[in-house]
Amino acid sequence: MKISFLPKLKQIWKKWEFVLTLIILLEIIIFSLKNSKFLMPRVLFGSMNDIISICIISLFVTFVMITGGIDIQAGSIVGLSSIILGVAWQDFGFNIWAASCLAMVAAGVCGGISGFFIAYCGVQPMVVTLGGSFLYTGIGLLVSKLSATESYKGIGGFPEGFLRLSKYRLFGIIPFQVIIFLVLAVLAYILLHKTRYGREVFLAGVNQNAAEYSGINTRLIIMSTYVLSAVSASVAGIILTSYLGTAKSDIGATLTLPIITAVVLGGTLSTGGKGSVPGTALAAVAIGTLRFGLPLCFKVSQQYLDIPVGILLLVIIIGRALLNYPGLSVKTVIRGRIPHK
Amino acid sequence: MRKIIKSREINSFLFLAGLIFLVGLINPGFWQPVTIINCFNDSVVFTFLSAGIAFVILTGEIDVSIGAVLGLSAAVGATLLRDGYGIATALFAAVLVGTVVGVMNGIGVAVLNIPSLIFTLGVNGVVRGIIYVYTKGAWIENLPADFTLMSNRLLTKNVTYFYGAAVLVVIIGHIILTRTRKGKYFVAVGDNCAGATLVGIPANKIKILSYVLCGIFSSVAGMIYASRIGFITPSAGNGYEMKAIAACVLGGLSLTGGVGSLAGASIGAVIMSSISRILVFLGFSSDYDNTITGFMLLAIVVINTSVQNHTVRKNRHEILLARTAQKGGEKA
Amino acid sequence: MRKGMALLLAGILAVSALAGCNGAGGANKEAAAKAEKKASDITGKTVVFIPKLTGNAFFESAAKGAEKFGKEWGINVDYQGSPNAAVADQVSVINNAVASGVDAICVSSVDATGLDSALKEATAAGVSVVTWDSDVSDTARTLMVSQGTPDILGKMLVDMGADSLTKRGKDIKADKIKYCWHYSQATVADQNSWQAAGEAYIKKTFPNWENVAPDNYYSEQDAEKAVSIGASILEANPDIDLIICNDSTALPGQCKAAQNKGLTKENVTITGFASPMSIKDYCNAGIIEQWGLWDCQVQGAIGCYLAAYVAAGNQLKVGDKLDIPQIGTVEVMPNNCLVEGAATAEVNNGVVLLPERTIFNKDNMNNYDF
Repeated sequence: MKISFLPKLKQIWKKWEFVLTLIILLEIIIFSLKNSKFLMPRVLFGSMNDIISICIISLFVTFVMITGGIDIQAGSIVGLSSIILGVAWQDFGFNIWAASCLAMVAAGVCGGISGFFIAYCGVQPMVVTLGGSFLYTGIGLLVSKLSATESYKGIGGFPEGFLRLSKYRLFGIIPFQVIIFLVLAVLAYILLHKTRYGREVFLAGVNQNAAEYSGINTRLIIMSTYVLSAVSASVAGIILTSYLGTAKSDIGATLTLPIITAVVLGGTLSTGGKGSVPGTALAAVAIGTLRFGLPLCFKVSQQYLDIPVGILLLVIIIGRALLNYPGLSVKTVIRGRIPHK
Repeated sequence: MRKIIKSREINSFLFLAGLIFLVGLINPGFWQPVTIINCFNDSVVFTFLSAGIAFVILTGEIDVSIGAVLGLSAAVGATLLRDGYGIATALFAAVLVGTVVGVMNGIGVAVLNIPSLIFTLGVNGVVRGIIYVYTKGAWIENLPADFTLMSNRLLTKNVTYFYGAAVLVVIIGHIILTRTRKGKYFVAVGDNCAGATLVGIPANKIKILSYVLCGIFSSVAGMIYASRIGFITPSAGNGYEMKAIAACVLGGLSLTGGVGSLAGASIGAVIMSSISRILVFLGFSSDYDNTITGFMLLAIVVINTSVQNHTVRKNRHEILLARTAQKGGEKA
Repeated sequence: MRKGMALLLAGILAVSALAGCNGAGGANKEAAAKAEKKASDITGKTVVFIPKLTGNAFFESAAKGAEKFGKEWGINVDYQGSPNAAVADQVSVINNAVASGVDAICVSSVDATGLDSALKEATAAGVSVVTWDSDVSDTARTLMVSQGTPDILGKMLVDMGADSLTKRGKDIKADKIKYCWHYSQATVADQNSWQAAGEAYIKKTFPNWENVAPDNYYSEQDAEKAVSIGASILEANPDIDLIICNDSTALPGQCKAAQNKGLTKENVTITGFASPMSIKDYCNAGIIEQWGLWDCQVQGAIGCYLAAYVAAGNQLKVGDKLDIPQIGTVEVMPNNCLVEGAATAEVNNGVVLLPERTIFNKDNMNNYDF
């Protein structure tokens, strides 16, 4: 059963990533035909800078969603890490890199707490991470009160070496943050698709009980995915702090929905058990390209961008649903028969 | 009687009562009937939202587009009112918006079999974008006074008409869901969708219906929002979907479906919307607002779930005991 | 025609961007040399007008004003913003504007320093940067169109409250006035700076006043929350005299809450900053005596004019007076009129203060359409 099941799933992912690549290519072709400036490497890579946190975090939220969970607290952890980094560096005299490590550790602890409630207390992930998003946003604000700088000002004036994290460009073109993203993507890919840990993550999502009976400590596995996603959020927070040159407790507030969108568009099933890192990465890039290209080439106002992104998501998932169920007809479904493959 | 005590919503109600009691201990000003009743009055928007989404959650699905639906129906209704149309016309238009989005969601989730979180997420983006196109980003202000003052009209001493209506709707919905045959289908579908289909319940129809009801409830919430606030911003209702979902969970609904009730959802809504109010009475700085909201949410949910898990295990144990006893013929 | 012009400009900019920073600087220098005697023409320039967030009455009317005046001056005002007031979103709007090759940016910053690097890059790419409403670091922009210093605005808020209190028969110098602040949140720069300045002014002028909530009440620009928090303030502090709402969502919300409770301006004094349109009804209903704002339409328009003016290669020095058609004369002031001790660069750097702020009441509120 399992033997025939897994390769088939794999085929679909492959197909799906192919579709996503096609979408990205299509976007690039259309946008560059409309406005040739779009293809200038400086512009193209510059646009990557603005979506880098979504790209990085969604990679690891994929892990969470494969276990059947969801993580809507990542955005608040971005802000929390940023402000911890800033306060530790400015007011407690930490070295900037030590402060970054502290932020990552704190984020890991936050992720661990949420993960513990989800895995060991059996509370629904959406509610825990919703509570977490309130809690960690609030703690971020309280941390900012520890600083001599008022919370509305933001902590700035970071050392040059830290700012170079986002300013340095390889060959003068490729921003360093894009390289960080690529490295993390490869790491996530290996971790999820090539290691024992990754297989256990999948199994925990497909059937937690079965996985538990086959000797996997599923609770630990599930909890660890939340730690991973929280740490990735703090990495994104550190990069964002460097990019913006200011540490604030609310810089990640708007990231939550784009992250989830990227993960599900990447082919991860929100019920768990299915998903892939390349899919998520490609989907994040596809959304980012769309959000950047539409205003640049078609003069779409920024505030209307939710519509095309929403439509893209709907068209793709509806199309995929129709492809997956070729024998589907409205009549049979209304009568209450769930189509089986 | 025993059934009532055992039901999950009673936990939430006790929690609410305890919360009011505790806050009153710290600030006796909170113990006045007016203040407590106002906690309920102020929750009317969330009561409608949570009751609406409760239908969807009961069937085991989710709807994250309700905040945008609330915003769009409020915007549509408010523009009509501002342009001199009657309240009935505006309400009708708003409900139409909710119904259309509800049907869309229902078809996407039930017919096309798309995971509900993803589908409604997409719809959420589109509807939120439409609000910006429709309002051109501007506020809708200066609604007729007889409409905005409706939210103040008192049904009895201190209780507003709106909250009275909400209670009535929740009670009717609760009775339909728990007492009628068709109503019980919702819980059945959420409990075991495939099983429900096998015994002849039109599962997909029920799911579509739940989305339509959810849409209608959200748009009614939108009209009440318009009346209570008196002006509509394009971001109206932003993030309310998460709060409504949290309210349902506080009220004892399980996001996996099949467990909970409308009454529970409405109690959860009162808890959820009273938090920021309670903080003002406790004299906490608003800086603690998010921290305490998050902490309370986590605490309630973790305790509630642990208690429930314990009860489930205990019940299982009892059933097992009863069965073995029957087999032995001792208790036949 | 306009499109053709824009394309041409875009082309020129693309070329200059390709040539790199030095090339762009050179082009600027040439333009500046040309403009030595007479101000160069601003017609045809494209200015991207960026709010903190879209869908807010204040920013929408500022954009309306900028677009209206822009049309008459022959400059293209392109209103671009994100629905969320977030630094990262604003940076992406700016990057997008730079990439699409506009001439100038006129921005109200969400964060005091968070836009600096993006704006410096924009300047390097040959885009002139002007701020309005909320400033960035003075090295990251040319001019700032300010509605007034925090001291002016904080004092204005308190004075409006004090005046209304006197009108309803309180002795502001002797009575123990209980008051509080209700605005959006602790992370917003401008509102907090007004609050801080206003609080300092109260301590100095009215030591008899008592702040019932020194940590303030926040409603996060959520209208429902503004009403609900507003109601709780009135219930938890039944004897409160004055509520200052220096946020355009908090003020109508607080008024609505007072109306729901059946309170009028005789029972509690509410004042703050909001557009006249959004408060009109409450003023008619006798709930609020007076509230204030500045003419944000003119502010937005001045910002765009200055942005286009600098982009056309003109130079402005501290002390220069510039005649803006249909609006009037503005003067360039040094940066230290906003932030004490701030240095000002020799050319194209400084602050333009709006000449006046308006207090609205029953008599004048119908003269404004924003």
